[in-house]
Amino acid sequence: MSDTVVETTNLTKSYGDFTALSDLSIHVNRGQILGFIGPNGAGKTTTIKILVGLSKPTSGCATIAGVDCSQNASRIKRLVGYMPDKFGSYDNMRVHEYLDFFGAIFGIPASQRKARIQEVMETTSTTYMQDRYVESLSHGMQQRVGIARTLLHDPEVLILDEPANGLDPKARIEMRQLLLQLAARGKTLIVTSHILPELARICNVVAIVTAGKLRAFGTVDEVMSSLCPQRSYEIQLASASHIAQAEKVLGQLLLDSEPLTSSPAELTLRFPTVRTEPELAELLNQLVAAKLPVTQFRELTSDLEDAFLSVAGKD
Amino acid sequence: MNSLSLLKNPILQRELISRLRSPKALIAIALVAIVSCTLVLMRWPREATIDLVSQGSIQVFRPVAYAIAIAIMMLTPAFPATAIVSERRKGTLVLMLNSPTPPWVIYIGKLLANVLLSVLLFSVSLPAIFACYAMGGISIPGNIVPLVLIFIGMAFQYSALGLWVSSRSQSIDASLRWTYGILLGMVVLSIGPTVLVGKLSGLKAWIAQAMTTLSPIPALQQVTGAQGQSQSIGISTGWIEFLIMCAVSTLGFALATLYKLQPTMMDRSRDAGKVIEATQSSWLRRLSYLVDPNRRKSGIPFWLNPVMVKEFRTRKFGRLHWLLRLIAGGAIVSILLTVVAATGTVNWGVDRIASSMVIMQIGFLLLLGPSLGANLIASEVESGGWQLMRASPISPWRILSGKLLSTFLTLLLLLLATLPGYVMMSYIQPAIGGQVSNVIISLLIATAMVTILSACVSAYSKTSAAATAASYAVLLVIFAGTLLIWLGRGNPFGPVFVERALLLNPAATALAEMKAPGFETFQLIPNGWYVGLSICAAGLVILVLRIARLTRPD
Repeated sequence: MSDTVVETTNLTKSYGDFTALSDLSIHVNRGQILGFIGPNGAGKTTTIKILVGLSKPTSGCATIAGVDCSQNASRIKRLVGYMPDKFGSYDNMRVHEYLDFFGAIFGIPASQRKARIQEVMETTSTTYMQDRYVESLSHGMQQRVGIARTLLHDPEVLILDEPANGLDPKARIEMRQLLLQLAARGKTLIVTSHILPELARICNVVAIVTAGKLRAFGTVDEVMSSLCPQRSYEIQLASASHIAQAEKVLGQLLLDSEPLTSSPAELTLRFPTVRTEPELAELLNQLVAAKLPVTQFRELTSDLEDAFLSVAGKD
Repeated sequence: MNSLSLLKNPILQRELISRLRSPKALIAIALVAIVSCTLVLMRWPREATIDLVSQGSIQVFRPVAYAIAIAIMMLTPAFPATAIVSERRKGTLVLMLNSPTPPWVIYIGKLLANVLLSVLLFSVSLPAIFACYAMGGISIPGNIVPLVLIFIGMAFQYSALGLWVSSRSQSIDASLRWTYGILLGMVVLSIGPTVLVGKLSGLKAWIAQAMTTLSPIPALQQVTGAQGQSQSIGISTGWIEFLIMCAVSTLGFALATLYKLQPTMMDRSRDAGKVIEATQSSWLRRLSYLVDPNRRKSGIPFWLNPVMVKEFRTRKFGRLHWLLRLIAGGAIVSILLTVVAATGTVNWGVDRIASSMVIMQIGFLLLLGPSLGANLIASEVESGGWQLMRASPISPWRILSGKLLSTFLTLLLLLLATLPGYVMMSYIQPAIGGQVSNVIISLLIATAMVTILSACVSAYSKTSAAATAASYAVLLVIFAGTLLIWLGRGNPFGPVFVERALLLNPAATALAEMKAPGFETFQLIPNGWYVGLSICAAGLVILVLRIARLTRPD
């Protein structure tokens, strides 16, 4: 039996002549966290809206736990917990009343609702704010209450649009831990964010979309190796006076496909390359032989941001 | 600062130009022009002669003047009432107050933008007013100039009022409700002491007369040749006194607003909320609130519509403690009116007492209904709550019924407040039992109409401020506009036209049933009910279709 929970096949959405989403095919397994990355207007929210039953695709198909998102929207609403980027606050409503209202509209019986609200407040560490008005909460607190709201009806899939947006570092770390905790409990999560290092830390799979098209999909390592095949190396020297000499030596040793950049202020030189380890060792030998005071010769780690920029830069 | 540099005020330029770009401003201006020109056309003499002494032109001039005055009353306060509070909520007010622009320049910009828009609004009716002059019997210095000055005075006064209320309010709907409430008090209630109490002397008489200068009605009556009507009820003030009061009150509102319009107005902590447990509530608190708004609330029971409960809980006004206070007040007033009439303290018949009660109830409905109904859908869309409800399994019908019930039941409770008065009236004079039943049915239809039409406007509006202003305008056109036609009965409107217009207004149906003065000749039941129910049914169909559109997948 397949463990795929969320699946889209050739998903396309057009508004007149404008194609917001084109042939998107992705799948997410149970307990995985999918990082959905793309610039503004890339088609992320369109995809999310189709997945939660708020929008119908022009063609293609999206399913959650085998249920078609456009054909059976009412069942989808019970399978998915959706947190949009806008909180959806009400005046004069306390956190407890707010959760009670959403529990009631999701049809949770009154007898079970109280216990369920306590449970989700404990999970999201919001119990202490239950008597406070929702509009008086800080942004980070509201995000936590938002997640508590999505968990009320115990959905299989959580779709969170920019949950870390506007959070301070401490709140961001707490949010990350909360999402990992939910995935560990078997929830499948789809998370969009502009804070890419944040996503790289928690996601099992990432999908990068730009201009409505899927540019990369897979685990973070798979995406990195497909989008960033070149490695970057950095050479650090003992003093800035040797930078010019180092540029001259490296200019003779490097190929045209290995453009050199220097940063005298940092005493460093950088270049991308596909050379093997022995070839790099030989390069270092030649630098030392030219009496350059090399203090460090190291590989720079590429991250999701580099991968994203390599895709975004092509558009 | 000369007049040219005044017009270069950046706030004035931004506010005026942005409003003139709005299609709603164009529609409002076009409506005023069409209504005023139609009124003139209806009475334009067919003979090629000018009648210098005829009353014909004054009979056209009067409804045109009243129509424009009502348009100014309805449309002028809406924008200033939202101007400061909406900027504060959006965070743009703090940016302006932190700029080198002094608060008084910001204030002048906002005030003048609104006044100029109002001037533009009534200036489109000037050709109609001058057409009355061409018909004879009207003079420019005696009638037209004072009338234009009254309109300008009203524009300044109501704009300054709206800005003052806006500077003190925490929410847009509260600001609109208070502005229209105070406006109603200034226009109608200010002449109450003189009209109701009758002859006064000394300081009391002076205060009562001074209060009448808050209302434009005596001034309008004077310049439209109907001063006799004001004098017959003891009002001796005219348009000059009204203009003096406009200047004084505008200055007062301006100073009060400028006092508030400081960067410190944003310096207040967010109310985190304090829960009062049942055991902690003191007797004084229980007596004051009747139902404590800070009590710990239990979960929503299965037999109640959760959307309706949410609406009741999230309102500042219209929550149970406010409603109970209002009901208690309304019940006391209605019983007092009936007792006073029954014991012969005042020489009013049952018909006049019942009419006063109908007017009080319609006043409640028109004051509270639009602000409650107009926030049902627009504010939900604005806050992002609509998206969350769409993503939940709750059906569109349950959302709609919950929202409509929350407003309908609130207004119904207000109507119930006057039931003791009607019961006492039926007890004193059993013969009017049937009439009282018919009045109650008419008021129920009025309640349904206010609820459904406000919700309809809300469903088609993008912001709650626009929805509230548009709801007030639509309902005032139905409830006050038809009474304007009634005022022109005989001339220029014939009895058939007046009766047809009154069929649209359930308040007129109730007044006609109680044989209120001026309504004795109209028989509006049952046709008025059929028309009212048809409007409700049509509104409901439009609303259902709109909600289906708003909840279905894009």
